[in-house]
Amino acid sequence: MDRILQEYFDLGVMFDPDNFDKVIDGFWFTIRLSIVAGITSLLFGLLLAVLRQTPGKWGGLVRGPTIAYIDVFRGVPQLLTILIVSLSLAALASPNLETGEDGVLPRWLGIPEWFGLPAPFWYGVIAITLTYGAYFAEVYRAGIEAVPEGQTEAARSLGMSYAQCMRQVIIPQAVRKVIPPLLNDFIALMKDTTLVSVIGLIEVVQAGRDIQNLEFNSSALMLGAILFILVTIPLARQVDVLIAREQRKTRRGGSGGGDAPSEPPPTTGMAGA
Amino acid sequence: MEQATSSNGGFLRLEDVHKRFGPLEVLKGVNLDVAQGEVICILGPSGSGKSTLLRCVNLLEPPEAGRILLEGKEITGAGNREGLDFVRRRVGMVFQQFNLFPHKSVLENVTMAQRTVLDRSEKEAAERGRELLERVGLSDKLDEYPDRLSGGQQQRVAISRALAMDPEVMLFDEVTSALDPELVKGVLDVMRELAGSGMTMLVVTHEIGFAREAANRVVFMDDGVVVEEGSPDQVIDSPREQRTKQFLGLVLEH
Repeated sequence: MDRILQEYFDLGVMFDPDNFDKVIDGFWFTIRLSIVAGITSLLFGLLLAVLRQTPGKWGGLVRGPTIAYIDVFRGVPQLLTILIVSLSLAALASPNLETGEDGVLPRWLGIPEWFGLPAPFWYGVIAITLTYGAYFAEVYRAGIEAVPEGQTEAARSLGMSYAQCMRQVIIPQAVRKVIPPLLNDFIALMKDTTLVSVIGLIEVVQAGRDIQNLEFNSSALMLGAILFILVTIPLARQVDVLIAREQRKTRRGGSGGGDAPSEPPPTTGMAGA
Repeated sequence: MEQATSSNGGFLRLEDVHKRFGPLEVLKGVNLDVAQGEVICILGPSGSGKSTLLRCVNLLEPPEAGRILLEGKEITGAGNREGLDFVRRRVGMVFQQFNLFPHKSVLENVTMAQRTVLDRSEKEAAERGRELLERVGLSDKLDEYPDRLSGGQQQRVAISRALAMDPEVMLFDEVTSALDPELVKGVLDVMRELAGSGMTMLVVTHEIGFAREAANRVVFMDDGVVVEEGSPDQVIDSPREQRTKQFLGLVLEH
């Protein structure tokens, strides 16, 4: 029993200053990667969702490729995207070994070290954005389609153009509707950032593995798991709160938006449910 | 010259308008001439095509055949973008389900399109918005969100929102049908006042009382065509057509 406890929760290993700092540093990378990739994925996903809705006959020229993109990147494992992005960009930016010709990509793009962060970090951001942009696009789409047709009709009857209607009427309502599922996907994104360890980023998982290799003990990995849980569980609870709030609103027949009225809903018998 | 044209001036003219949804032909050739300042109430059983007719006028549903002219300018026709802009700038519409923007306050609902479509300054748009909302008795609700308002209040906001664009024609699509009975009067009062101010109005309604007192002309539609039209007295009190009599019999019984 002691042996088991020691394997997972050896406080000496966990809180050894060197180990602890390494895990925390790694987790700090995980957090930064999650936030940066989260923001770029949200923006890219919204762009994809809007392109996917392009109206009209000629809009098909935009819709088709967008749908194809979303299908492809939802179907490829994140790990593969990370490997392909990092290895190919690095290769394209390097000189040809046989002929000595310069790489086709400029170095700043092929081996990006923007804002003083290492290239694997940015490969991770790019690869995660490519994949999660596709996921988020589908979430946004559900939100856009959930906005009643009457909203578009009202906006158009007021003389607003398609673009004005999208920007001012449809997108703001759609985004509000899908905040809970977006947060859910963000939790998944956060966990997927650990895959970037395969290309040498010392994030929390890699830090834990390094320590495990030295100490033959899993406690540093467990510390990483605990750190994850400290962040993801509150996020998951927040999702529940938002969903419950949305359901209360819908049950009351409200059309969403604005703050929930302070008076209790007129429906009865739901309080104990 | 036709009598209709000379007496009406053809401010808004529908010529043989057809509309179909798949196999269902909803409008089977509708002709209508509307003079400036005229208030026309369109009555008819559900499914008669009266709402579709209204939606054709501002091209929410583009007709398949026939023409619609506004101020002598044709707005229909495939690819007629100019006509589309022309009509949307001049024709306001109010819907049965209000369709207020739920993420915007009452005042923002009324100012949004003024700012984006008419390029009015924030101050100018807000001024116009306040003035209109005061006219419909909602000056104390400017900062509320639509889901805090009653249906009647929401509908009055929707009317203000359309009027803020300074339209020449207003379309009302069964605007009191979704309201609780006690809220209907407030909305009809606003419409009566608007009719009195000389606004050109096309009103699809089941409110026979409103049609009788506010309309210059009543149009009875059934099965995608205009069956009968004339003054309210004539169409409502002494209809010529059997179908009109039947419908009014059912409506007036209650």
